[in-house]
Parts: sequence; structure tokens; C-alpha cells
Amino acid sequence: MSLRPYLTAFGLQWKIGLRYRIAVVAGLVAQMWFGAVTLMAYASVYHAAPDVQAPLSLRQAMTYTWIQQSLFTLLPLGCLPAIGDAARTGSIVYDLLRPVDMWNWWLSASLARLLGNAVPRAVLLACVAGPLAMIVGLGAWSLAPPASLISAILALVSIALGALLSATIVMGWNILTARTLSPLGSYAVGTPLAVLLSGMLLPLPLYPDWIRPFLLVQPFAGITDIPIRIYLGTPIPGGVATGLGLQIFWLAALTLLGRLWMRQTVNRLEVQGA
Amino acid sequence: MPDMPHSPSRTLGPVGLYRRMAGASIVAQLRYPGTFIIQAIGNFVTTLLSFFGIWSLFHRFGSIAGWDIGTVAALYGLVNVAFAVAETLGRGFEVFGGEYVRTGSFDRLLLRPRSTLLLLLGHELRLRPIGRFLQGLFVLVAGLWLAPHVQWSALLVLPWAVAGGAAMFLGVLIGQAALCFITVEGLEVVNVLTYGGVEAGQYPLTMFGRWLRRFITFVLPLAAVCYYPALFCLHHPDPLGLPIWIGALSPAAGFAFLGVMVFAWQRAVAGYVSSGS
Repeated sequence: MSLRPYLTAFGLQWKIGLRYRIAVVAGLVAQMWFGAVTLMAYASVYHAAPDVQAPLSLRQAMTYTWIQQSLFTLLPLGCLPAIGDAARTGSIVYDLLRPVDMWNWWLSASLARLLGNAVPRAVLLACVAGPLAMIVGLGAWSLAPPASLISAILALVSIALGALLSATIVMGWNILTARTLSPLGSYAVGTPLAVLLSGMLLPLPLYPDWIRPFLLVQPFAGITDIPIRIYLGTPIPGGVATGLGLQIFWLAALTLLGRLWMRQTVNRLEVQGA
Repeated sequence: MPDMPHSPSRTLGPVGLYRRMAGASIVAQLRYPGTFIIQAIGNFVTTLLSFFGIWSLFHRFGSIAGWDIGTVAALYGLVNVAFAVAETLGRGFEVFGGEYVRTGSFDRLLLRPRSTLLLLLGHELRLRPIGRFLQGLFVLVAGLWLAPHVQWSALLVLPWAVAGGAAMFLGVLIGQAALCFITVEGLEVVNVLTYGGVEAGQYPLTMFGRWLRRFITFVLPLAAVCYYPALFCLHHPDPLGLPIWIGALSPAAGFAFLGVMVFAWQRAVAGYVSSGS
């Protein structure tokens, strides 16, 4: 088995993600606005209730928000746009004819798309929210450095797993798109699920205590929440091993289920158009 | 009277024309009732989930400077209902850059003997935001139900505040469209004022730092259409010291903002150079 076709698919989508430089800057402004609004709201609630024992300190909640904002485009918000177009026009049939493993082909494209969008934005926002904010005297609002060198390394490993996990969930949206012949359904379902369950809306550790265990063990937590917890050094029940274990478990489980679903879908796929 | 060319039955007034365009748009959207229902439900659930985030935050930390979850719910509901109305009316301005300026089809609108604003309002009367509208209304009513000092005068001020808020958000969309004459493509940065405005409007003004407070009071009159009317309806004294009746008058600022944006629009149309087609 040769890896080359998958690397080509990856390279192509990665370049598409890097093409839109103005979109990156526009995204940065939007993320800083949402970041600022959220941070001020958190600062206000933390200062109003100093004796509440929250699972995250204010500084940690701010860092959590900055990382979450910078990784927004890493979330599985919907299907890969190219597959949405292919499903609508019927050119999805070419993908079926290729002598490659279709799962890996789509997965490498989806992963590259996520990374090509997220990496430049994340680096840019990290520079603005980290060192730059420190320099201009907004140190209290800035992105905090990782808890230790080890947690930084583990967080990098974890974020790599998280990106892969996100691409695997995108595969689910891709198959849904191929089945329904329209990308709209995947966005309608994917965006709210991803925004709520990944911790984008509110850091998962800040939800009411009764729901927190469920929020930790669902697959979306593995995309950004677990890496951020490792970065911050906040305790995960059972330690870092549980966090990485959960990510690997979901990766394996979703890959298995996804491949089954894909086989079943391809066998009875009806293609529209000519 | 066949020989009267300008009899009312032959020439539609602006309202009649708009009603006809809106009717056509609604019929078109209901052609796929299944899709419409799914999108509206999706919109309802998505926006309701975002309220769950705020609810969790206040649930953990309790009330903040006199604002508990009930009063914040009223604020949240108000800004969402107002934005949903603007989203319903202003679709034509949202897609203006891509669909009219870039393609050059704005030239055709200029040839018609009607206001370009009216024609763009008639581009689409979008039904999908009904999900956001209903959930906003639901949260707003729940918030007012829970709040202790609500008076009947709130019933008069609320529609006025929603109208002011919708006018303000519509003003943002018109301003965004006017910018397209320079940028050609739509600028997504303006989303900071629409979606970002909703995000900022759902928290009490006192939670923000001074620069942001000033921005959403004097540049974008968000506080005038949401925060002060909400204070009035809830009978909640203003921590920043303004008298409470301000809230009954301040939604007018939304219309003033809309007026400024309409003026900017007309200036921009006067200087329009087609991108060709």
C-alpha cells in the first residue's frame, strides 16, 4: 500500500486552507472580539463571587477561552466542503472509482482542511493573546504559559490526537452528506453539537457538577477540552492517562463504526446528476 | 377605467410592492416544507443551547451585582428577538456584496423606478430566524415571569425596544452592504457587530470594561436598545446611575442609528461604479 495518494489529498486541502489570508485576519478580529466579551464576562462573575470554589481559576478560564477561540476552526462543524459539492453535483462517483481506500482518502483530506484552517489562526492568535498582550500591559488577560514542560509536551501529543479525532467526526458528517446528498444537514447537526460539547460555548469544567462526568467522556471533549486541561495542568479524574486514553478509545471506536457505516452507505449509494 | 394609466389598481405603492415580493419569497421558502421545519428547529435548538451556557455560568457563581439568571434571561431574550427580526428582513443586505455588487446585477436594480432599499428588503423575507425568535421570546417571557418587580408598563416598552433593536441591527446590515461598494466582496468582520453584538448584548453592561461599554453605548447603540429598556421593564435601578425612565426613551437611538446608515447608503449609491458584467 502506497501512502502517496493520501499525502497528495492532504497537501491539496492544506494549501486550500492557507489560501485565504484575508479570511484569516477577519477571523482573528472576530475571535478577539468574542474572546474579549467572554473574558470580561468571566472576570466579572469571578470577582462578584470570590468565595465560590470553581474548578478553574480565573486565569485558567481565560487561558481556556483563548485556546478554544484559536482552535475554533479545528472543530468538526460540518462536512468537508469538497464532499458537499461532490454529493450535490454527483461527481462523488469519481471518488468511488479511485483505486484507493476511500476512508483514508477522505480522512486525509478532512484532516488537512482542519489543520490548514486552524494552524495559521492558532499561531497568530497565540502570539497576540500571549506575548503581545503581555507587552502592552494586559498580562492579567493574556494566555498563560503551560503548567510545565511535561504538560506542554503532553498537550501537543493530545492536540494531535484531538485533530485526528475531529477529522474522524468530520468523516461522520461526510458520510451523512453522501447519504442525504446535501451538506446542509451536516452543518445543522454538526455546528451546535461541536460548539456546545467541545467547550467552545463555556469551558466544560464550568458546567453544573452533575453533568460534568458525562461531558468529559463524550467524544467531542477529546478535540480541544482534554488537550487544554493537560496544558493547564488541571486535574482530570484519573490523571493525564485517562485523558489520552479517552481520546484513543474514541478514535478507535469512531473509526470502526465509521468504516462500517461507510461500507454500508457505499453499497447502496444512489448518485444524482450525470 | 381602462384609459387611466396611473390608477391604483395598476401601480403598486411601496407597501403593496413589498408585500408582493415578501409573499413570493415566503411561498418559495415553503416549497420544501421539510427542509424549512428542520432548519427552524435547528435554529431554535442551537440558540437555546447557547442560553444553557449562560445559565450554567450564573448557576455556578450566583447573582452578579444584582443580576441573577432571571434578569439576564430577559436581556438575552430581548437581544435575540430583536436580532431575529432584523435577520428576517435584512437578508438582501447580508448577501449584497456577493450577489449584487460582484455580479454587477445591482445595475438592474438601479434601473427600476423604486428605492434600492425597498428592492433589497424585498430580496427575501427569511423565515428561518423564526427559531431564534421563538426561543428568544420563550426565554424573555420566562425571565420576566421570574423577575419580582415587573410592571404592566413593560408591555408597552418591550415592543418598542424590540423595534429599536431590530432597527439597529438592520442599520448594521445596511452599513455592511454600503461597505461592499468599496470592498466588493462582503466583509465578514462585520459579523462582529451582528453575531458579536448579540453575544455582547446578552450580558449586563456593567460586566464589561470601560472601552467596550463606551463602544456599545455610543458607537453601536446596543445598550440603548437592550440594556436600558431591560432595566426599565425589570424595574431594576441602573448601577451606573442613570434614571430609570431612560429605558423608555432610549430605543429611539436604534432608529437614529438606522437613519445614519441609510444616509451612508444613499451617499454610497450615489458614488457607485459598476464592476461590469
